[in-house]
Amino acid sequence: MGVGMIPFGRRDEDSLMDMLAWAGLKALDDAGLGDGGVDALYVANMGSGIIQHQTSVASALVDRLSLLPAGAESIENGPASGASAIKNGLLAIASGYYDTVLVVGGEKMREVTGWRATDFVATMTHPTAEYVYGITLPGLAGMFTRLYMEKYGVTREMLVSISIKNQAMGTLNPYAHVEMALSKDGIFDDPAAIVNNPPAADPLHLYDACPVSDGAAAVVLTALDKVKKPSKPPVVIAGFGQATDTHTLQERADPTDLKAVTLAAQQAFERAKLKPTDIHVAELHDAFTILEIAESEHVGFFKKGEGGKAALAGKTKLGGQIPINLSGGLKARGHPVGATGVAQVVDIVWQLRHELPKERQVKNAQNGLTVNFGGFGNNVLAFVLRRVQE
Amino acid sequence: MKKKDIEIVAYKCKKCGKLHFPFHDRCMECKSREFEPVKPQGDVRLLTFTRIYNLPWGFDARYLIIGVGEFENGVRAMGRIDVDESYPLKTGMTLKPVWAPVRVKYGENVYGLMFEPKG
Repeated sequence: MGVGMIPFGRRDEDSLMDMLAWAGLKALDDAGLGDGGVDALYVANMGSGIIQHQTSVASALVDRLSLLPAGAESIENGPASGASAIKNGLLAIASGYYDTVLVVGGEKMREVTGWRATDFVATMTHPTAEYVYGITLPGLAGMFTRLYMEKYGVTREMLVSISIKNQAMGTLNPYAHVEMALSKDGIFDDPAAIVNNPPAADPLHLYDACPVSDGAAAVVLTALDKVKKPSKPPVVIAGFGQATDTHTLQERADPTDLKAVTLAAQQAFERAKLKPTDIHVAELHDAFTILEIAESEHVGFFKKGEGGKAALAGKTKLGGQIPINLSGGLKARGHPVGATGVAQVVDIVWQLRHELPKERQVKNAQNGLTVNFGGFGNNVLAFVLRRVQE
Repeated sequence: MKKKDIEIVAYKCKKCGKLHFPFHDRCMECKSREFEPVKPQGDVRLLTFTRIYNLPWGFDARYLIIGVGEFENGVRAMGRIDVDESYPLKTGMTLKPVWAPVRVKYGENVYGLMFEPKG
């Protein structure tokens, strides 16, 4: 019904509450609900208790937005907090108890040093079997990438093609954190590329990872039969899916198999009564380049082992077989962890309303997919969104 | 630094035999709640690894090398790898597991699994 986002990046002057409030107001305005009509507020946030030393942000935000006495809850599910909050809003409306829910996701991560931010994200890992060793999310992604390369023949050149594609899209997105185009020479071919693009968690390099970002995004959800005269083409959540996997990577029989991604996407497709080939545009959780490739296979766009080749061949660019991350993805739009799952939905809504400039718009897009990847694939949510036919 | 016995304990389901590490309250396979403790045995086969250069808070080092190893009795566990960054690590190679300091917390050593080259 309504969506909104504020530019992601380093927002030193803005507090977490500022960002949440501004994104929420944009969504309310977009929905034409500036003066109220919200039954409940769900706030997706992972780190305010650790980073800002502030808890119960939903209670603070519902007051700041003068939405009292609407219900309010904070929802924390790691980097999948955003999609979790939307799912809970969807279920609340589907239950019939609420008519309209405002979901706001946000994070302010640049308030602390890179060391602290990396540690904060790593608190998702198993405390005694993983975290104690200094493992980080890039570290888990590095170990996953090594296995994926060995099993499926993914190459560094394929990974680099994702970095280049998504950062190019970031230059076209006014909400993106990273607005710098990359050249293959600069980060891969040239002998100096090792200086520009050093190893971060090998075999992953610096430009294989998303930035640490501040930002917020919001959506207003309501039942379709409550929308009388929409000012914009309505977009429905036609299907959702959620699945979990083992906390530690080591306990997966095949650690390259992202079972939760497969199951979440299957559920979403079944509920929407659509297939992967019906999707016109997707926002996948590319916190690391390897994840865009692996997720594109696990959701069914490509066979296992074909995702990297498809990316290299341009099949995931605008105009390709299935355009992926035309927002720039987490890689360029940025990854304020609590905001990401909401921002993915906002970007797909803009696509399905046909509101984006032509250099980012999939022509006549009707169906979109989002995948929000929590932990290292241990809690994954997927949404299939559909433009309502007039 | 004096090295200690490996303190990791894995858990074998008494009903179906599935091995778990870390601990689960119910078997991942058959949902049984009865386990027998199993000590990891022998050397480890390196399943995967990475060299991390962007470290989390709490480590005073230029890089960390971390891997997942499989013991000879099937227990899989993460550990630090005690080699120089240029050491030619390869998946599938055999390493020797030891119990050694892996980080310092409040001025005290915290012990954990460390994998070392054989010989």
